Amino acid sequence: MSKTTACFDGAECDSGLACQSPLATAVTSQGDPTAGKGKLCFKFVEDDTYFMNGSQVILSDDHIDIYIPMCWPIKLTVASIQGSETPRIQSQANSIKLPPPQSLVQANQCQQSNSISISLPASPSGITIGQAIKVVFGDAAGSAAIDEQLNQPSDSTISNSRAAKPGKFHSRSIPAGSSYGKAAAMGKVNGPLADQQRMPRSYSSRDKRFDSFKTWSGKLERQLSNFRGKPQEPDVEANDSDISIEAEAVPAVDRYFDALEGPELDTLKASEVSALPEDEKWPFLLRFPISAFGMCLGVSSQAILWKTLATSPSTSFLHVSLTVNFVLWCISLALMGTVSLIYSLKIIFYFETVRREYYHPVRINFFFAPWIACLFLALGVPPSVAENLHAALWYALMAPIFCLELKIYGQWMSGGQRRLSKVANPSNHLSIVGNFVGALLGANMGLKEGPIFFFAVGLAHYIVLFVTLYQRLPTNETLPRDLHPVFFLFVAAPSVACMAWAQICGDFSYGAKMAYFIALFLYVSLAVRINFFRGFRFSLAWWAYTFPMTGASIATIKYANEVTNVVTQILSVGLSGISTFTVTALLVYTIIHAFVLHDLFPNDVSIAITWKRTKLTKKLAHLRFASSDMKDIEASISGNTPQLP
Amino acid sequence: MEAREQQLPITNSSIPSQTPTTSVNIVATGEALSWLSTLTRFHAGYFRISLSLCGQALLWKILRDPGTDAHALGPVIHIMPSAAFFVLWSLALFSLVALCLLFIIRCLFRIENIKAELSHHVGMNYLFAPWMSWLLLLESTPFLHPKTTGYLVLWWVFSVPIVVLDVKIYGQWFTEGKKLLSMAANPTSQISVIANLVGARAAAKMGWRESATCMLSLGLVHYLVLFVTLYQRFVGCDSLPAMLRPVFFLFIAAPSMASLAWDSISGTFDIASKMLFFLSLFLFASLVSRPATFRRSMRRFNVAWWAYSFPLTMLAMAATEYAQGEEGIVPNALMLVLSLLSALVTLVLVAFTFLKAGNLVPYDEPFAPSPSERTN
Repeated sequence: MSKTTACFDGAECDSGLACQSPLATAVTSQGDPTAGKGKLCFKFVEDDTYFMNGSQVILSDDHIDIYIPMCWPIKLTVASIQGSETPRIQSQANSIKLPPPQSLVQANQCQQSNSISISLPASPSGITIGQAIKVVFGDAAGSAAIDEQLNQPSDSTISNSRAAKPGKFHSRSIPAGSSYGKAAAMGKVNGPLADQQRMPRSYSSRDKRFDSFKTWSGKLERQLSNFRGKPQEPDVEANDSDISIEAEAVPAVDRYFDALEGPELDTLKASEVSALPEDEKWPFLLRFPISAFGMCLGVSSQAILWKTLATSPSTSFLHVSLTVNFVLWCISLALMGTVSLIYSLKIIFYFETVRREYYHPVRINFFFAPWIACLFLALGVPPSVAENLHAALWYALMAPIFCLELKIYGQWMSGGQRRLSKVANPSNHLSIVGNFVGALLGANMGLKEGPIFFFAVGLAHYIVLFVTLYQRLPTNETLPRDLHPVFFLFVAAPSVACMAWAQICGDFSYGAKMAYFIALFLYVSLAVRINFFRGFRFSLAWWAYTFPMTGASIATIKYANEVTNVVTQILSVGLSGISTFTVTALLVYTIIHAFVLHDLFPNDVSIAITWKRTKLTKKLAHLRFASSDMKDIEASISGNTPQLP
Repeated sequence: MEAREQQLPITNSSIPSQTPTTSVNIVATGEALSWLSTLTRFHAGYFRISLSLCGQALLWKILRDPGTDAHALGPVIHIMPSAAFFVLWSLALFSLVALCLLFIIRCLFRIENIKAELSHHVGMNYLFAPWMSWLLLLESTPFLHPKTTGYLVLWWVFSVPIVVLDVKIYGQWFTEGKKLLSMAANPTSQISVIANLVGARAAAKMGWRESATCMLSLGLVHYLVLFVTLYQRFVGCDSLPAMLRPVFFLFIAAPSMASLAWDSISGTFDIASKMLFFLSLFLFASLVSRPATFRRSMRRFNVAWWAYSFPLTMLAMAATEYAQGEEGIVPNALMLVLSLLSALVTLVLVAFTFLKAGNLVPYDEPFAPSPSERTN
């Protein structure tokens, strides 16, 4: 049995290689057996079906092996144009659905992990010249796309493709007995599945889906399992590692904007599909977002508020006791410890996921949240616990903030795609507020130059961000049309800046007053639009939006210290009441979602976007092999001439 | 046109059967003409060299100022006798005069190219550079005291062109179509801001506080607009070629110069000056931690490398003023480190200039006039 290796070469096909016609056509031809070369010409029809580099077809006498380095579930339908018999695929139905990949692989280094074997109808001469096999590649999962980063020069004839163009194919001969062959031989190809979403419920295959999100693609976990003496995983596992599966590169920032929507960029667009199954609950660590630190922000700022209420002369008429501050501070300390512990576990075990969160345009700002929460803890420390904190603590807390903002502000200035005009969104305030909170704490501690440094840096970049957000540039995609609690972050920076400036200058000077009035104005202009805040899905990040309200209340109390009259006192009591009420309401919501509805940590789809862009509509995503479809296909194909080499 | 003819090289092959002496004469004339042609291609970007040297001279002058803490700089002061300072000042003067002469020759022979330069979004900003260099040199002059008439006259001579250019370029920012700020903004636009601030500082040294405040406010308000625009990085902003990446260091120069100008107006290095200095420090740290930005421009020595020196010098000057106002080890250490760094960078650049002078000579005209501008 001669094995023939064919190459796909788009250029060698007829000029009809346009992407608009509805089917891919495969024409087999048996070349000179001694030369061992045949040629398959694939005509792309659906502009949403693509071959990746390295696709190969091996012609045998009685069957064709097609190796497709596909990285997503694919459905293959085979039909014939000429020749009376429909070639049969080595499975029951005429369509097979290849299983989802074991792990997501980078397209241009995709190893051939999927193969199908199509057995042709038995005929005396095997495959005859001129017999056309029509192969329809459809993407059942709706996530086929070409590697947009490949930047391959496209055929000039293919000018109609809307999105990325079909890649060029180059031939590579498969050595016999290679791992690919082994893979095919070992029957990695599963039979047809009635529902492509349902996966074989074995431990090994379920695990591997999340491998690309784990540290070192799951090798750390395997190592740890080995250390703990767990039984070795079945042999299939070993073969996986033969075929070197590379960790999927983190998507570029454009990809996040293309695939996600919503004010926090946390909802998948309808045309996108998640890289991980959406109908299952993912591992807990995978679902634990960095925005959980928002809880710590909210609670610790409350601790500061109650401390201020208890110790300020302007609110002494309320006779608030310091016990409230003490209790809240202990709660926030415990919460901070818990959240940090869980997130450290996530960093250890799911480092790839943490990387993806880091590159998310909104979530990157939440990486400041742990340090800001620690600063809040230091600000709100009860007098009974510690009267004066050591300056080294300040340096230790500001160092990570400094490094993070070097990176992020540097990206704004000169970092390729992550330009501010594109990525600006209200969550960027979190990266600015850290400067002001650090300046406030440092000035409280008695430091002089350090607080001024961070105040200057924060002010300069705040001006830039403020102008950009107010402009709501057309190139900026993330600002939601309706208001969302994230808009409360606008209030955060001026209120904390006002307090910081007051501490740096020693008294509540005009600069601090101006900042305070700006904060108050923004607060009022958001509060009167309270109707627009309805109808949003609760998320854990909402906790992060309560600390601006608390900050505004604290600033009001400090202002009332300076200008003591009935108005300011009413304002301070009122704002404090609103912020406490909001936090309590959020607490109730959180408890309900956690214990009653059990969806406090939903599947975090924003980090599971696929690497490639999809152009398929839903219609194609649910394409099923049906006779009616076949008839349509045949009818449209009948007008085409077969491609002969 | 006369200019046209001079651009044509005369080669031997085009002249049939000449006598040997005539051909030698023609070759010599041809060489002289092509030499002249090269000379006229020295565009305004070459003033980076004089800017850096004059800035260095001013830095050394401030370092030798009695107000500086002698203890911190003790060993450095001894290394730097006044003769060395005079040599540096003379070198700066010589380079500035030479570049001015070259630029005048260019004005005479290639006026269309000058016009093209004036309308180019990068080139137009370097027209501020000669006046800035003269002002810096004026401030660092060892023999001319700020309160003398000579100083006053020279200040006026050098500041009026800056104000005229201001009116033209800042006006273009919000009125003219193609030269809108959102389209034309690039890091070199900060040179116009820095020129105003240099003028402000020179005026304040003279005692003319109102003029100083006027130029300072011009500079600061346009700096605010420019800072925001540059950080936003509209798509049109990316028109800076990779070879010019060193001009990103101008982000450091502008706040430093503003800090110095405010310091000289208000008399003390107060909190506003400190904040501007710290912002400048942060931007320095930010740029230095992103070496990949500059990789492509560092492959071959070219005049853009001189863009590194001037901002570092300004930062060192601001650090020196900061250390003069503050006690303690950190300010003095900052001053020492930054001054040494700027001196080192300037020295390296001077060495490169002498060793690889060929790389600096302009063989191409970077500012070609558009066809509509050619006069016939």
